[in-house]
Amino acid sequence: MLYVKDLYKSYEVGQKKYSVLKGISFQIAQGEFVAVMGPSGSGKSTLLNCISCYIPFEQGNISLGGMTLTNLTESELAEVRNKKLGFVFQDFMLLDGLTIRENILVPRIIQGNVSKDGEKLADQLISLFGIDHIRNKYPAEVSGGERQRTAVARSLINQPLMILADEPTGNLDSKSSRAVIEAFEDAQSKMDATIFMVTHDSYAASFCDRVILLKDGTIYKQLEKETTRSHFQDELLTAIKEMSGDEQ
Amino acid sequence: MMTIQKMEQKLQKADHKQAKLYLFCNFLSLMLISAYSAMMCSPTVLNILPGGGDSRKQMYAIFTLALFGCVVFTVYAASLFFRKKSRQLGILMALGASRKRLAPGLFREVLSLSFFSSFAGILAGFPFIWILWNLFRIFIIDSAEMKLILSLKCLLISVPFFLLVVAFACFTAFRYLQKTNILDVVQEEHKNEPVKSFGKWCGPVGIILLLFGAIAGYSGPMLYQTLFQAYSPAWINLLYAPVFIGLYLIMLHTVTHGWKSIKRNPYKNIISRSMMKFQGRQTVNNLLVTTVLIAGACFAVFYTPMLGTGSMIETNNRTYDYLFHYRADQDVMSREEIEAQAAEYGLTLTDWNSCDYLTLAMDGMERIEEEDGSFYFEYTELLQSGKFLSASAFADITGQSVNVAPGTYLAVSNTAETSLYVYLESTQLTNMSTRAKLPVKFAGLAHYDMLTDSVGYYILNDADYQTIAEGLTKDWMGEMFCFNADGTDSYPFATSLFHRFVDCFGPECELPHYYDPVIKAKCDENGEVYWGDTDDMTAIHFSKPDASDFRAYWTYMPKIRILDQNDFLRNFAVFLMIFIFIAIVCMSAALVISYTRCQTIALNNHYIFDDLKKLGASPDFLATEVKKQCRPIFQIPSLVGMTAMFLLYSMIMYANDGKFEFSEICGLGVCLSILLIIGVLIYLVYLRTIQTVKRNLGIL
Repeated sequence: MLYVKDLYKSYEVGQKKYSVLKGISFQIAQGEFVAVMGPSGSGKSTLLNCISCYIPFEQGNISLGGMTLTNLTESELAEVRNKKLGFVFQDFMLLDGLTIRENILVPRIIQGNVSKDGEKLADQLISLFGIDHIRNKYPAEVSGGERQRTAVARSLINQPLMILADEPTGNLDSKSSRAVIEAFEDAQSKMDATIFMVTHDSYAASFCDRVILLKDGTIYKQLEKETTRSHFQDELLTAIKEMSGDEQ
Repeated sequence: MMTIQKMEQKLQKADHKQAKLYLFCNFLSLMLISAYSAMMCSPTVLNILPGGGDSRKQMYAIFTLALFGCVVFTVYAASLFFRKKSRQLGILMALGASRKRLAPGLFREVLSLSFFSSFAGILAGFPFIWILWNLFRIFIIDSAEMKLILSLKCLLISVPFFLLVVAFACFTAFRYLQKTNILDVVQEEHKNEPVKSFGKWCGPVGIILLLFGAIAGYSGPMLYQTLFQAYSPAWINLLYAPVFIGLYLIMLHTVTHGWKSIKRNPYKNIISRSMMKFQGRQTVNNLLVTTVLIAGACFAVFYTPMLGTGSMIETNNRTYDYLFHYRADQDVMSREEIEAQAAEYGLTLTDWNSCDYLTLAMDGMERIEEEDGSFYFEYTELLQSGKFLSASAFADITGQSVNVAPGTYLAVSNTAETSLYVYLESTQLTNMSTRAKLPVKFAGLAHYDMLTDSVGYYILNDADYQTIAEGLTKDWMGEMFCFNADGTDSYPFATSLFHRFVDCFGPECELPHYYDPVIKAKCDENGEVYWGDTDDMTAIHFSKPDASDFRAYWTYMPKIRILDQNDFLRNFAVFLMIFIFIAIVCMSAALVISYTRCQTIALNNHYIFDDLKKLGASPDFLATEVKKQCRPIFQIPSLVGMTAMFLLYSMIMYANDGKFEFSEICGLGVCLSILLIIGVLIYLVYLRTIQTVKRNLGIL
């Protein structure tokens, strides 16, 4: 589904150049739920933003569903974002002037085809993620967890190849975080969604099939869930300790 | 079914607050500029302010400042609008909306907002100036010539400004759509604008540059003329540039360091300082613009008191209630006729004195101007005219006995020696009828305030006077009489007498005082056209003896105390109205910019105030932080603008003659009082702003 090969990205601040991604390569299969973890500055968000085509990268190759995401025109990039990718952001990024239902429909509205089917799918997603009671409310009138579940529903409205989630639980309390993770699990199990999530939270990551640990712009380790969620979380914590040098 | 157009409409409706602010800023700027340009291009104003005159130059100069302020303000408003809009744009881009998809809706919104707000502003400018002007006429002073006539020429200024606003809005929209990094677009709203900080030297250096620029700019043209014997070119005005650099440094220091020492308690004001610093770039720009506008407003508003106080003191100090002078060939009413007329008003005349005088040509060095702006001096026998009294005539009129040696002349100055409209280097006088010459030498000054006119008075030895007067025809001779009214003077008598006096003159005397008969005669002899006979000369008419330009410029305008006292406002009504209007425009623009900036700071720092609340900050603490943010926005431009303009005016007054005249000190005192009133006004707007900001931040 997603192939990332030898990805390089750096930022220039004044005269100085900072390398953030130093030759990252990995792949994600259809229906897989993958998290990226790592300390601040390790390049997690930059990686996600490169895959999202939000920021340009210098070297390497990203391929999604067989389509190479380099050298695309602005229109082609927009189409990829709209049809092949779904997004969930830490700060929800809902449009304050639209209701919850309308927000979910925004990717369809951008396409210009809000058909009956689209509306039906929106209603199904609303039911699936338990936000029926707020469908006609505005983002400012609902809780953080509800906003994020709205964002998850929005990310699925165009039935994309992959959902990209940037710290989706970062602004939420534990109860809301749980509800959002469950929404991802539902999307994975009921809609065969492929999810790529950046997170700091080992609890959230422990729900994933696989976790990629990043350190200083390179992949430190990849861990796969083989037993229970709780055990996987312990494994993650150990690996993170190891990565930060605490074991020594 | 929801379409992208419907969605955009719904989002626009939801974001009406930011649109309203943008509309308001554009509307206000265009209205002020439209009103100002309507006034500036009005035939009413152009007829009163002579072309090339200082007043008109001042009006243009302040207009340039106001235009600059309004341009910066509209650019700022557009940037603000797009900063708020960017989140929405960014989300839509992030969700896959292409630029092509977003462009029509964005441009439609931006065009409609900028077009309608600017267009409405231009339209509103006309009723605004009309209402303001007529309120002035109703409540302050009215005269026939104050009837406001508007010319469509003003659209030549407001329409390009309108186009600029629309074009800039479209350009900004285009720029946002062109951004490749979507995250930058999304985060634009929360982006800090830190200003590049200099050391603590920048404040003091700014003050020095400000003072240096003011002095260099003011004295530069004079220095250039002296050094290069040529009129200074336009670029000499660049010498004022340090003023703006100095202002910038002062504002920068205010934002980055503040003016209070933090050595004793470095943590005091740390929150407000950091907030201010990280919004610094726009804050510095805003402070700069409002300072310039407040300075412009002060410059305009000082015009009235400086003119009025000087005139009031001069009028009150006159030794005669009435002084008339006229060409000897005019059939002016006799003393008996005047006394009879005075009796009709219950007045008797006292202290009557009269004398004659001669209009003679004075020689000297004439400035010959070349086409390239350079000039040189050349001796000429017919340099200019002067009004010459005999020593005994001067004694009769003034009660002062002066000794004038044969072959010398005295020049008459006012007591303070500040109004020196006299030529001190003449060596020869010419009788314009016989062309007889009298060699003379300047021997000093005599003093008498009432004999200081734009055409100077001089005193000759009685014998010399008789010699040079021989054969002089009556059109080169003059007579004068002066008297006091016994008891309480009568304004109706003065008006009637003045009108009667004007009626006595023939058309050959329908001339302003800057029409010099000596130069006219010289031009005629040389076959040249005298400047005074061209259209460049502001014409005055006997048919309008109450017009302000007639009262200000007529060669034989008498000095009538009660008339001048009562008609001062009327005579200068258009001047006063123009400058008061300019002050209102500049001050309104400055206050609205400051108000808007404070609202923006509150909006941008909303999350900081929320965090402070969560950290347990009390409402009092938060209110204090709000004040610390808003106070410099109002305080610094007011202090700097008002002080700078007061010092500049003082410098101009001092530089005129190297001293402060009593009337100038009084005028400056009145200006100081006006500054206090302006200060109170600004403070009230500041208090109102604080209330609004606190309400918007939810601080009880």
